[in-house]
Amino acid sequence: MRLWQPLLLSLALATSAAAQTPAPQAGLNEEAVSAVMQRAVDEVIRPGYRNAQQSAARLTTAMKDLCDDATQQKLDKARSAFDDTVRYWSVIEIVQTGPVIQDNLFEHILFYPDRKGVGLKQVQALIAKADPKDTTVDAIAGKSVALQGLTALEYVLYGTGAENLTTQKNSFRCLYGAAVAGNIQREAGEVVAAWEKPDGVQASWKHPGPQSADFMDNKEAVTALLGILVHGAETVRDQRLEQFYKGKDTTPRPHMAIYWRSKNTWKSMAANLEGLRTLWQKAGMAELLPADKKPVADAIDASFKSLLETVPKLNPDIEAATSAAEKEKLDALLVSTRELITKISDDYGSAIGLSAGFSFSDGD
Amino acid sequence: MWNSSAIDRRSFVKAAGLTFLATLQPRALMALERADAVYASGMRTANGTYAIATVSERGEIIDQVALPARAHGMAFSQKTGRTVAFARRPGTYAMIFDPRGKNEPITIAAAEGRHFYGHGAFSPDGRLLYASENAFDANRGVIGLYDATSRFERIGEFETYGVGPHDMTVSDDGRMLIVANGGIETHPDFGRTKLNLSSMQPSLTLIDAATGSLIEKHSLPSQWAQLSTRHVDVDASGRIWFACQYEGHRNDLPPLVGSFAKGEDLRFVDLPEETTRRLANYVGAIAIKRAEGLVGVTSPKGGASVTIDARTGRVLREEIVPDAAGIAAAKSGFAVSSYEGEFLSTRSDVAWDQHIVRIAAI
Repeated sequence: MRLWQPLLLSLALATSAAAQTPAPQAGLNEEAVSAVMQRAVDEVIRPGYRNAQQSAARLTTAMKDLCDDATQQKLDKARSAFDDTVRYWSVIEIVQTGPVIQDNLFEHILFYPDRKGVGLKQVQALIAKADPKDTTVDAIAGKSVALQGLTALEYVLYGTGAENLTTQKNSFRCLYGAAVAGNIQREAGEVVAAWEKPDGVQASWKHPGPQSADFMDNKEAVTALLGILVHGAETVRDQRLEQFYKGKDTTPRPHMAIYWRSKNTWKSMAANLEGLRTLWQKAGMAELLPADKKPVADAIDASFKSLLETVPKLNPDIEAATSAAEKEKLDALLVSTRELITKISDDYGSAIGLSAGFSFSDGD
Repeated sequence: MWNSSAIDRRSFVKAAGLTFLATLQPRALMALERADAVYASGMRTANGTYAIATVSERGEIIDQVALPARAHGMAFSQKTGRTVAFARRPGTYAMIFDPRGKNEPITIAAAEGRHFYGHGAFSPDGRLLYASENAFDANRGVIGLYDATSRFERIGEFETYGVGPHDMTVSDDGRMLIVANGGIETHPDFGRTKLNLSSMQPSLTLIDAATGSLIEKHSLPSQWAQLSTRHVDVDASGRIWFACQYEGHRNDLPPLVGSFAKGEDLRFVDLPEETTRRLANYVGAIAIKRAEGLVGVTSPKGGASVTIDARTGRVLREEIVPDAAGIAAAKSGFAVSSYEGEFLSTRSDVAWDQHIVRIAAI
């Protein structure tokens, strides 16, 4: 028995609802979407991954030079190259969608956090064992993710025993580090290759519609772009800052901070924020706002500016940064990053005609 | 999600008592007087805070209880009248709320190394609360067991025999737990990022509620390995209905709704292509209207709700509902809410969350 008429397609409930509040916001500015997606892909995402890969290539070279010479000068250069790769990776790691989350590529490049120190123990054990077989990219690529990426290499260059890198040419520690750098270069190369394929993900992102493997329409595409911003900002606050500092009434855990050994914690966070601002500005996401909502963009610009002035000035020694004397700055950072998330997710999302800030249809 | 009828409006008012009624604003009292049934749903309020609301048959907010953070699914016990709001993954709280207003809300925290996945259910006698949880360091799905006769102490856990359990329910006789293992690995250190899209293992499992042993496990066919089984409900015959979200190519046309009974293979509903497209490969909620044999599903991504005849699998009705959120059986068809504040015929200045639970008779 058919209970109702089939396919009785009605208008949205919005049209019939007994309104208790003002009417909803205007819809998405569909005409502006194509240019925004194009710029996001061609001027932000693709260059971002290319920069990370090229930096990793320079790091690989610097590590090999260090192994060959084992001098303080080459160690300094390798460390500088590492810092450079951390920066470029941190700029683009805000993109937590697309090819980088396929086949665990992200975790291969960055294993963090190491909550129980299991990864650190693995790195220490591998160095202590010093098996020459563990000095090739292929060998490293087949091992635990904790042994493959930036945090493993940070320990090689800055952890206990790093001083030995200048006492013996082609030491196991150095050769392992060079293999890790090569692995990061290779993994980043896989992400680059996926994004550079003309008819692959870049086309799918730039041309939402029935032919796209990612977005059936403009709304889905913009929702994904907004998702990068929101999830990226949430990562900065919830997964990076709160990983070691949750507020004034909690006990800091400075050694849980990412890159604390190399004093790159704040540099990485600033690069995360720079990556988010680059996406926001270079993609021209403000162009999706209706004219009367431009103050929303101004407020987001102001938040980025303020954060990017503040974060690099924080004490790079995380023990000191989380001490009683300096906690106040981190409390302020918790507040300002929360405000940034709200401005992007709620204010901007709503203003461009999405309720995406409330849900990204991401598995709930 | 609970699908049985519970207390009617009169008994709700009676049970609620003067204390609860005294807290209601005049407008809310009017709503309650008009209410023929009552729903509960999580929401974000106009000032950005989170709450669980009781809602009239017309979709009007009757009362609300503040929540510490965003909620997701709910469980309701017709025996005790208690409702639970579970934190959205990877949240760590669940709040037990008594719509009768007799007891203060109880907030419980996830156990060490666990977080809630956003859903749960009461045993039919109301003595146990089950919650889908993530034992994240081992990447293991578990069902947390809580003593609902006291302060909801955690008294044990069962395996879900799968990764990433999301929705769950209990068979009417209370002997079987039904779990949708979405197959997606997540870890709180990575927020809501999906960590294994290229190696997903979605499944539906039936678990002995007394022992925790596996009764049946239904893995998805290999060609649909990226079809995440997310939500479940049970019809009057005991048949289990499930709804899915697809993580593969957006222009694929995967089956999004299916059913099975104990001892049977999974059977997908052969939805028309245009319906599958309208659901945008993403069903956010499912509900059964037992009396009429109807299955209702919503898709926030597609902005649609669809009603299916449980007996024939035919689509009976489709509606465009921008940002469609929750769905529950209503007097006529289904009540559907939206992120934009729609709830049946009422618009409120809130964003309704993804699920509605019915806490009164139809």
